[in-house]
Amino acid sequence: MAKRTPLLTASGITKSFGPVTIVDNFNLEVYPGEAIALTGRNGAGKSTILRLLIGADRPDEGRIEFEGLRMSETKPEIRRGMATVIDDLDFFPDLSVVEHLDLLARAHGVPDPEAIVDDILEEVQLVPQSGQLPGTLSSGQRRRLALATAFVRPRKLLVLDEPEQRLDVEGVAWLAARLKEERQRGLAIIMASHEPHLVDTVATRTVRLMGPKRQLDDEDADVADADTAADETEDAR
Amino acid sequence: MSKKSKKLIRAQANATPEDVATGATAASEVDAGEERTWTFTFLGDVEPEPVDEKALHTLMQQWRHGRASRTLGQVLGDAYFMIFSLVLIGAMVINLLLNSQHGAAGCNTTACQSGRTLLPWVLLAGTAALTLAAARIFGPVLASAAEGFWLMDAPVSRTRLLGGRLRSALGLAFGLAAVVAALVAALSGMTLLLGGAWTLAIALTAVAMIALAALEQTYERTAVLRVLQALFSVVAAAVVVWMVLVAASIVPLLTPAWMAEAPWVLAIVAGVVAVVCGVLAYRRLSQIRRARLLSGGSLVSGMQGAAFALDLGLARDILVERDAVARGHVKPTPGRGLGVQALIWRDLQRIARFPKPLLGLVAAALVPYAADALGLGSFMPFVTGLALLAAMVPFLGSMRVLSRTGGLARTMPFSTAEIRNATMVVPAVLALLWSVAVYPAVLGIAGGTSRTPLDALIVTVSIAAAGLLGAVRWQTAKQVDYSRPMMATNAGGIQPSLIFNLFRGIDVVVVVTAPLLLGAPIWVSPAIALVVYMLLRSGTSMEELQDEAKEQQKLAEAQRATASKEKIKVQRPTR
Repeated sequence: MAKRTPLLTASGITKSFGPVTIVDNFNLEVYPGEAIALTGRNGAGKSTILRLLIGADRPDEGRIEFEGLRMSETKPEIRRGMATVIDDLDFFPDLSVVEHLDLLARAHGVPDPEAIVDDILEEVQLVPQSGQLPGTLSSGQRRRLALATAFVRPRKLLVLDEPEQRLDVEGVAWLAARLKEERQRGLAIIMASHEPHLVDTVATRTVRLMGPKRQLDDEDADVADADTAADETEDAR
Repeated sequence: MSKKSKKLIRAQANATPEDVATGATAASEVDAGEERTWTFTFLGDVEPEPVDEKALHTLMQQWRHGRASRTLGQVLGDAYFMIFSLVLIGAMVINLLLNSQHGAAGCNTTACQSGRTLLPWVLLAGTAALTLAAARIFGPVLASAAEGFWLMDAPVSRTRLLGGRLRSALGLAFGLAAVVAALVAALSGMTLLLGGAWTLAIALTAVAMIALAALEQTYERTAVLRVLQALFSVVAAAVVVWMVLVAASIVPLLTPAWMAEAPWVLAIVAGVVAVVCGVLAYRRLSQIRRARLLSGGSLVSGMQGAAFALDLGLARDILVERDAVARGHVKPTPGRGLGVQALIWRDLQRIARFPKPLLGLVAAALVPYAADALGLGSFMPFVTGLALLAAMVPFLGSMRVLSRTGGLARTMPFSTAEIRNATMVVPAVLALLWSVAVYPAVLGIAGGTSRTPLDALIVTVSIAAAGLLGAVRWQTAKQVDYSRPMMATNAGGIQPSLIFNLFRGIDVVVVVTAPLLLGAPIWVSPAIALVVYMLLRSGTSMEELQDEAKEQQKLAEAQRATASKEKIKVQRPTR
């Protein structure tokens, strides 16, 4: 039986902001077909970990690798395999919704980009807004466009930061079903989420984060207890 | 303010830090765990009293002044360095004025006379066009978000509330236009009377444009303003062309007798327009919708934020975004090509969709001719490079978006160098076309320095590269990182990159064109441009290089530590 190779490996990741250690010796291996949900209270470090995993921020300590390559968000090989939807996604102010998706599909060399763009537009329910410029979209529509950017291109790993944000109930249900399907087709997913339905439907593993640790306040931090989480749970700080 | 409110505020002010941390103030007397009995307050069944808008404004001013933590004396005391600089710059300006007045006495060449005669006309038309553009963007009557929320919901007269804003806009336009016009009049060596007349005419024209824009704002119309703005822009450009043609002795300089009276006539006409439109606008101020007023106010807030960060790129981003929101919808066009070609095609399609920046490129092509006509001589490459920089910025929109945050670039399967190269293709082609248009000026046909065809070709390419790369630097420079160590100055801690932010782009034009100004061998400028291009395309900043070096150092230390452990292990005797 062939040995499973992790798609993404994070070992000994530490990140501090001033005296506060947000991420302390965090380890993670993500395999194809696996969906990992990062959960925890606001400020527990979910978004920080995601930013570190995709190379948007650099860890103080530790190493992150994607398909054996040292993580750097500017490496084309990594950009090709990893689709991300986090808060820093920007849009061209002068390109319409459909043009954004068309550009991304073409940039990734997707054959017949127009067909796939049309399908995804329909799926995210942005067909009526296809000619609109991003500045005029509502926050929910912008979120749908951001999610669509991840689906019109090839990907091996999908990294999502609270993808349920600003989606209506129907939208969250669609997203959960879509991500489950993606995972079953072999895509690896890492997501931070506060939405129990999404986590229950998609995640194969849940990592519950306990929150930041103050360097001068170690005793208090150690008292924090690990909550139980659904499925296979890891505790991490 | 009620007695209860005052009591609460006093209690808050006297609270100790511990009280504040635990929330133990007079305001929190009820325990959260207890079953609460709510008491509700309703307005009394009496008619509200009439509101005095001026008193409301005065009250807000008092609150603001009451919260000032420093006196004017303290602020001025800390700003002595700035005051000293202003005095120094003022002395330099006065010295420059005196010198130019002295030099103007010897203005007897055609180029000089054409410049002196026609420059006020360019300034007048240019001021009118710029004033209309600014008035359309900002309002000109505007209100802050706070005023919109707190005051405009109240039953107050909007006319009285906004009257001050209109007067401020008119006053600001008069002041700014007068200062610029007076400076230009003094620099071009006009007599006091003529200079005063032109200053008055130009300042009143600016006021008239603001008053007209305010009147149109009350009707929510912009068509007239757009037409006028285009008309004034064309007039300004036409006069510049005329100036160049006169300087090149292609057409004669005509100075009919009525031209001496023109500034007075213009001042009277502008004054009448300003008064009529101003009065009509004031009467209709209450008709302006709150959303329209707040939109200008929020733009000013955004601009202030960008100004504090000395970030002109951010200021432009705000304007571009606003323009896009106003447009709202476009007819989608299908993309072409795969990979980086798709990015290049989109840039081309953008120009077809938003062709207005091409006018700026055409105007930039006139600059070397005008510079030579005005006798700028060896400064022509620098001035021309700056003009091209300004014209190129709008064509690098996709590079800007792909550089300002990592999010969008991360979605593309390209390296930073590939993205920069791709987004530079269309602007580079435009810069090449611009080079063809300015080549005759660099050869020296407009009266400037004469060059051989080969030298002129190298100088033209160098200027084009300076303008293009300056615009690339302007669009791709990283925002100020306030988490980095600060630099101690007399005005407090300042980020070193904050100062350089203001000169980004211009520094590239200086570096590339300086050898041409200093008479260095002609190949030096293109060589510098090539080095600058290599640096800019890689997109590596000094901070990233430092981080990388730190990372390497850490790795080397870890390897050394491992090696030394192994060494000890080997040296240990075995039994």
